[in-house]
Formats: sequence, structure tokens, C-alpha cells
Amino acid sequence: MIHIKQFSYEPGDHEAEKASNSYLMSLIAIIAGLPFPIINLLATFIFYLGNRKSTYFVRWHCTQALVSQVSMLFINSVAFWWTIGIIFWDESLTNNYFAYMFTAFIFNFTEFVATIYTAIKARKGIHVEWWLYGPLTNLICKPR
Amino acid sequence: MMEKTLTQLLITVLLFFGTLFALQQVDWVSLFKVEEITDKTEEKLGDLLWETFKASETENSDPILVKSVDSIVAKISESNDFDKEFFKVHVLNSDEVNAFALPNGHLVIYTGLIVDAEHQDELVGVIGHEMAHIQMQHVMKKLVKEIGFSVLISITTGSAGGEIVKQAAKTLSSSAFDRSLEKEADIKAVDYLTNANVNPAPFADFLYRLSLADSQLPSIVSWISTHPDSKERAEYILEYSKDKSTDFKSILSEKTWESIKEKLTFSEN
Ligand SMILES: [Zn+2]
Repeated sequence: MIHIKQFSYEPGDHEAEKASNSYLMSLIAIIAGLPFPIINLLATFIFYLGNRKSTYFVRWHCTQALVSQVSMLFINSVAFWWTIGIIFWDESLTNNYFAYMFTAFIFNFTEFVATIYTAIKARKGIHVEWWLYGPLTNLICKPR
Repeated sequence: MMEKTLTQLLITVLLFFGTLFALQQVDWVSLFKVEEITDKTEEKLGDLLWETFKASETENSDPILVKSVDSIVAKISESNDFDKEFFKVHVLNSDEVNAFALPNGHLVIYTGLIVDAEHQDELVGVIGHEMAHIQMQHVMKKLVKEIGFSVLISITTGSAGGEIVKQAAKTLSSSAFDRSLEKEADIKAVDYLTNANVNPAPFADFLYRLSLADSQLPSIVSWISTHPDSKERAEYILEYSKDKSTDFKSILSEKTWESIKEKLTFSEN
């Protein structure tokens, strides 16, 4: 699922720190804004905007963090509104609801672990590409 | 590059729905005892709310009246395959023309409603309507919507204050259900009544009469304030019951009904 790859150049310590921070941003947002999926995305997006003009290594990792948050937004929004429906409207607790929540949890948890792992590696200047998000980031983020 | 991304996207999406499908095979609801917990909550809540009415108002103890109302509920239950033990009927002494349902099958009827009913089938109609609210789970739905699930839980665990319990009681006795729920209860009531061979037309008459009284006695006729649009409701009730059987028979004997009315009217003066 996760590959350590040779980046096109050796990133400096300052770059490594910034790249690592982009993942930490989404982690902090997960902890702070747990029930509101949009907050994670916003935090990551703001960080992405702030580093738009940064070096390739930093931009690449900000993009991968952002892409992962965007995909999680879809999964988590459904979970969020479904739960709201149960609490405030008269939706009932069904097997489908539980199945969805556990599926969402598995995907979130996997992403959470991958995020921590990548943040640590990126801090050391090691380039980590994720399944799906890595190739996607390569399509979006090009060297200048 | 593009191709690799698309392949991985497809696999991920399949993985997501595969996981979802696999997890859907588990009966989580019974695993987590969801029904047991909600039933327990409803049970506690209903008893607690009934206690608040019992404490502030007096129950009518006339054995004939209590037995008659019980027999109406029993008759409707039997003809519609309901568990009649689930319904707990209480008659409270009050001028208010009101009847309402509480959680856990508590059904409260004010004597004012019985006095106001010109025919016993009118009373049977209102009881059928309130029983429909209970059968269709409207009561808990309304409470969850108006008070919130977490507050309801806090009431049952005893951590909520008396004010909140009173507010919940007030919500059920003097505020309206959604229009769609009211219509559902009306239509169900017609079904219940016709299954019990009771004529639903007097129920419509009763609503129609209340709609006329609306402007004159607004304070006393609370069932009207919690059940607006009575005229329209009377119309669709008649429309819906149009082609039902016509071989109707009232539940109570005419003599019993007359004596109940007489006693209540007498005690009111
Ligand atoms: Zn109603």
C-alpha cells in the first residue's frame, strides 16, 4: 500500500520539516474537528495554499495530504449526515448504518496510520508514495 | 501513469464497497441490542412522564368509566391483533377536551373529552387515533425530534432535572405532531375502527364540530390546538372510510355510555 521511493532530488532539512507538517496538519485537524469532516480538508487545503510556491518536495507532499483528505471527505460526510439524521431526525439505527460506520472507520484508521508513518518518514527526508494517492499526486503535482 | 491511477482507483472503490457489503452481512442491530436499549428507554420514559401527570392531576376512579374505556382499548386491540396489555389507559379529571399518548403505551384521556363527545364512537375514534400514534412509534419520534436523544437518555438515567421532564410531558400533551404523522394516525384510526366494526363517521363529525368550536372556546379545547386543520381532516377521514363496510356496532351499550356521560356532567356542575 505504501512505497518508499527515490525522489528526483535529495530534499533539505527545512523542506523535510514542511512536508512532514502537511501531514501533521491533517492529523491535528482530525483530532480537533473530529465530527466535522470539512475541517480536516480546510486545514489541509489552507496549508496547501500556503506552500503552493514552495519546493517540489514540499508541494508534492502537501498535495498527497490534500488528495487523501478530499477522498476522506466523501466517506466522512456520508457518515456525518447519516449520524445527524439518526440523532435529530427520525432515521433509525440499521445494520446498514453500522456496516457503513465500520467501513468508514477502517478506511479512516488506515489513512490515519499511513499519515503518521509518512509524517515521520518525510521529516527524515524520505519520500513515501501511497497507494492511489501517490500516482494521483504525480498527475497533479509536476516539478517546475 | 493515468492508467495506473485509474486501476488503483477502481480497486480502492471495489475494496470500499466490498468491505461495506461484507459488514452488511452482520446483524449489528441485534448484536448491539439496539432494540432492547430503545425499548428500555421508552419504558422508563413513559412511566416517568406518566408519574408527572399523576402527581399533578387526579385520576377518575369511577369503576364503570375506567372499565368502559379499558374495554374500548381491548376491543380495538383484539380486532387489530395488538398486544392489549401494552396499552395503559388513564382517565384524568379535567375540563380540557384532550387526549394524548405517552411512551410505553400510556394513553391519557381527559374527562372533558368524554363530556364533549356526543356519541361514544367519537371517543372511540379519538382513542383509535391516539393508539395509532403509539402503534406507529410516533411518540418516541416526536420526543427525539423535539427534545433530542441525548436529553431523553439523561431523563431515563435520572441526571436531567425536573424541569426537563416537565417540558417533555408538556411537549406530548400540548403540542402537535407533524401533519404527515397526524394524517397517518387518522387513516390508521379509520382502519382500526372498521376492523372493530365501529363507524368512523362520528370521529369525523367530532373533528368537524371541534373545528367550529375552535374560535369560541380556544382555551378548553386543547385537542384542537394540538390537532389543527380539523375540518380538512374530517373530510379525508370521511373520504377514506367511504367504501368500508356499513354493518357497524358500538362497543359500549347505550345504557353504559349514557350513565358515564350523566355522571361526568353531574360531577362537573
Ligand atoms: Zn394526533
